[in-house]
Amino acid sequence: MLSSINSRAIVPVACAVTGFVIACCVLLYTFVKSDLITGEIHHAADLADTVIKSTRYAMLHDDRETLSQIIDNIGDQKQVEHVRIFNKKGLVMFSRDGAEVNSFIDKSAAGCNECHAESRPKQKLKTMDQARQFTNKAGNDVLAITAPVYNEPECSNAACHFHDAGQSLLGTLDIGVSQAPLKKTLAQLQGRMIMFSGMVLILTVGAVCALLYRQVFLPIRQLVDFTERSPDDSLDSDFPEVSGEVARLAKAFQKMTARVKELEERQDKSRETSSEDPLP
Amino acid sequence: MSQAGPHPDGQRMPGREDLRQRIELRIRRLERVSLAGLWSMVLFLLVSLGAYDNFSFLPELTEDFRRMLGAPPPSEMISLALVIYAFSGIVGTLARMSRNIKPFRGLMHMAFFAAFYAFYFLSGVLPDNFWAVFFAGLSVMGLENYYLWAHSKEALQKERELLERLRGGE
Repeated sequence: MLSSINSRAIVPVACAVTGFVIACCVLLYTFVKSDLITGEIHHAADLADTVIKSTRYAMLHDDRETLSQIIDNIGDQKQVEHVRIFNKKGLVMFSRDGAEVNSFIDKSAAGCNECHAESRPKQKLKTMDQARQFTNKAGNDVLAITAPVYNEPECSNAACHFHDAGQSLLGTLDIGVSQAPLKKTLAQLQGRMIMFSGMVLILTVGAVCALLYRQVFLPIRQLVDFTERSPDDSLDSDFPEVSGEVARLAKAFQKMTARVKELEERQDKSRETSSEDPLP
Repeated sequence: MSQAGPHPDGQRMPGREDLRQRIELRIRRLERVSLAGLWSMVLFLLVSLGAYDNFSFLPELTEDFRRMLGAPPPSEMISLALVIYAFSGIVGTLARMSRNIKPFRGLMHMAFFAAFYAFYFLSGVLPDNFWAVFFAGLSVMGLENYYLWAHSKEALQKERELLERLRGGE
């Protein structure tokens, strides 16, 4: 019986708490992951914007050597996986990787098809749409941003007259940053959440088990031991020290046993009386 | 119940036979009910198996069909709805358990969790949220089915005892 109460009380609580805590932790992890990735995308977009602004002067003066130097320096940073600038036709003009300079990029590849999916390419993209995640040839997870380099009056009015005013887009900057730090943070977060969930589960289920044992199972066991004692034993001795509903139950048992004993004694007496005074 | 014992003519009493048949019918119905929970759980696990694979067995949804469905709800809203549904489902079952109200035995929970899988799938974030739906479903349906099983078992025991007493009296 005790094992039955045990299982009936603990199994549902353990099942409900465990499932719900795990589900909530997974959702919380997904939210945090999504927020961190969004933050990383904005950070990468800001970085791309900084690169475009810092190369602006060199572009206006058609200073290709300085531009190439800036791209090389940015590409040397530890977290930058690739950085390249290509023109409207997709020809790579500057890149940290010298091998891809003067080669055409694939317009149907991820990062390009956001604008080039339709016959008329999109002129503007939201920050989130500029980002793409992929694994590069070296096996590193990369978050890349493609930031357009727009035509400006200073550019179309420049002495070189290279770009006319009607051309809205001059080229695109493509910069990719390593996702290793983000993955490391997420792995740490995952580990901590698993540890935290485990502790919450152990505490919740453990507390329920301990309380049930102390408040229900132990008094019931004491009561069962008390009621199963020999009928000759005194009813007052070793009365279980219980409280609440279990105490009322114990007292009811005690009263019932006393009444049964009293009835038995009365029956014995009447039997003795009848045997002493036989009917005429 | 005090009329136990064979009929004076040596024939079975028609009322007693009727009662026996009714009890046997109730036993069969209770056995079916306790299995119904198991079927809904199996169905949920099968849907989960498909969802784990991002429903790759389904044909690619066409652009026209997606346009017809409209924009999917934001994943945050789906997650919020999932937490609220799982929480209210658990609280509801625990409340029914404490008040000993007849357990729910339909496929409603299964249908709701399948819908959550579908919404996440259409929003394109099912792989990230699969385990959340799976564990939420497992806890809500596990609790509900446990209650259904325990409730049916208790009722079955009572009916079998009644049947035994009826047979013993014959």
